[in-house]
Amino acid sequence: MNEREQPSGPILKGDDLRKVYPDGAVEALRGVSIAIEPGESVAVVGPSGCGKTTLLHLLGGLDEPTSGRVFHRGKPLSEIDRDQYRAREIGFVFQSFHLLPTLSAVENVQVPMFEMGWPPRERAKRAASLVEQVGMSHRRDHPPSRLSVGERQRIAIARALANDPSILLADEPTGNLDSRTQAEILELLEGFRRSQGLTLLIVTHSAEVAAAADRIVRMRDGLVEAG
Amino acid sequence: MRFTTLILRNLFRRRARTLLTAAGLAVAIAAVLDLVGVAWNFQRAFTSLYEGKGIDLIVARAGVSNQLSSALDEKLGERLRSIQGVADVAASMVDVIGFEEAHIAGALINGWESGSLLFRGTHVIEGRMFGPDETNVAMLGRVLALNLGKKVGDEVDVAGEPFRVVAIHESDSLFESGGLIVPLASLQRLMGREGQVTGFVIQADPSDPRSVSELQRRIESEIPGVAATQARDQVERDMQLRLAKVMAWATTALAIVLGSVGVLNTMLMTVFERTAEIGVLRALGWRRRRVLTMILGEAVCLGVFGAVLGMILAVVGMRLILLEPTARGFIDPNIPAPVLGMGLIVGFALSILGGVYPAVRAAALDPSEALRHE
Repeated sequence: MNEREQPSGPILKGDDLRKVYPDGAVEALRGVSIAIEPGESVAVVGPSGCGKTTLLHLLGGLDEPTSGRVFHRGKPLSEIDRDQYRAREIGFVFQSFHLLPTLSAVENVQVPMFEMGWPPRERAKRAASLVEQVGMSHRRDHPPSRLSVGERQRIAIARALANDPSILLADEPTGNLDSRTQAEILELLEGFRRSQGLTLLIVTHSAEVAAAADRIVRMRDGLVEAG
Repeated sequence: MRFTTLILRNLFRRRARTLLTAAGLAVAIAAVLDLVGVAWNFQRAFTSLYEGKGIDLIVARAGVSNQLSSALDEKLGERLRSIQGVADVAASMVDVIGFEEAHIAGALINGWESGSLLFRGTHVIEGRMFGPDETNVAMLGRVLALNLGKKVGDEVDVAGEPFRVVAIHESDSLFESGGLIVPLASLQRLMGREGQVTGFVIQADPSDPRSVSELQRRIESEIPGVAATQARDQVERDMQLRLAKVMAWATTALAIVLGSVGVLNTMLMTVFERTAEIGVLRALGWRRRRVLTMILGEAVCLGVFGAVLGMILAVVGMRLILLEPTARGFIDPNIPAPVLGMGLIVGFALSILGGVYPAVRAAALDPSEALRHE
């Protein structure tokens, strides 16, 4: 049976996660437990500094908790190769897009594929297909500086989907967008979730974005308040 | 897109900085190549001075580090000729003179006997060899004749005395092409060293290495106060050549250190500016090794780019050096291919030295921490 087809149990689970930053001054998470089912869309909301991004980084394998454990399909992240986990299972979307300025739109989409060992032609073909899927074929050879913020976020989403991940983690994906573009990006994310069976975890300040999710997790002062 | 495309695009993200760093490397590498090239050609010219003439041994005053300061009795030639294993002997006096009117600070002047084995490898382009009884005649090397603007039949002032030019010659050795040959007796008188020579050259028979070594020992035991040196060893022991080599290697070491610091500085700035970007790449699944390869690859491309510029600059620099007339008689303007190849190795070495620390530092960045660095 394919790993992606595992039928039951949360795809991602955080168990009593605590995170104290090395200087000891900030306790970003104070015992957060969260379980996300496959294909679920979850919005994490809360005031600035409540630990939303820290939680996203721990679940995405970018950082390690001070205590507690993260599980992916029942396996603790501490026992798997986190680089491989990020490359194959996770797609990240950031508020500031973080596209490489020296590369064109379609080349940016190829960047995560280097770790997959695909031949250049296959990388280019897949990137072109993803760029088309986010409706950016007409701008595929433009550098990020010549794209609008909405277009940059579309390319960032295509890049996040480059290695066909099972989970998309988005940190304020609409934070820099106007309301019309925000709606377009949300629609795009939701479309991919439905068509590809993605699990979506969005950190947001926006009530509209949160309202579009299946479930809302509210955080305050490093703890889950509700959800 | 290939990984190397990404590396090259990153390198030229800050064009001015990359070009300035590469220019700094180029100057350092050009200095290395010119100095090593001069030392290399110097050695080659020196070697052909002896080996091209079939000379097996050079006999000079024991304990002198430079043949110019050696002084031996001319009559020793006959004693040397009588030693078993000596096929031919030639006396030689060598000195350095200047030609002020042509702004030549130093040219090699050789005093040889007519018909001497030392004339091997000397090709007369114009005129004739001087005869056994001629005095105050000179055979000018092609480069010196060109610098002085002299031709056969002209007079040339040699250390205050007029000498008639009887030939323009080309030699296998650049030193001889940049200098002049006069009769031994004329040079002895000119230098106030009548009856003296700076040394003898010997052709051995048989001339296999073992026989030559035995002859060397025989000469030194039979004639006290002289040192017989094999041609190759003579080149290796020459003080000026050793100085040229030491200077070349010292400059190389200095260039590597300075170049590495330049690359280190540039790459550290790059890593610092791109901290958030490196965090994103790690978030996208890039392993530490790939980040390390990317930064080190950028450093290597920078080093190789600087090296290529340096090679071009070295060739141009050598041509500029040769605008000085004195240099034309001593310096071969062609930098040998192995020396140019060394430029690439130096560029590669200094880029690795300067790139390793920034690359390791970039690879060691905590992705979560790096993403917060805006």
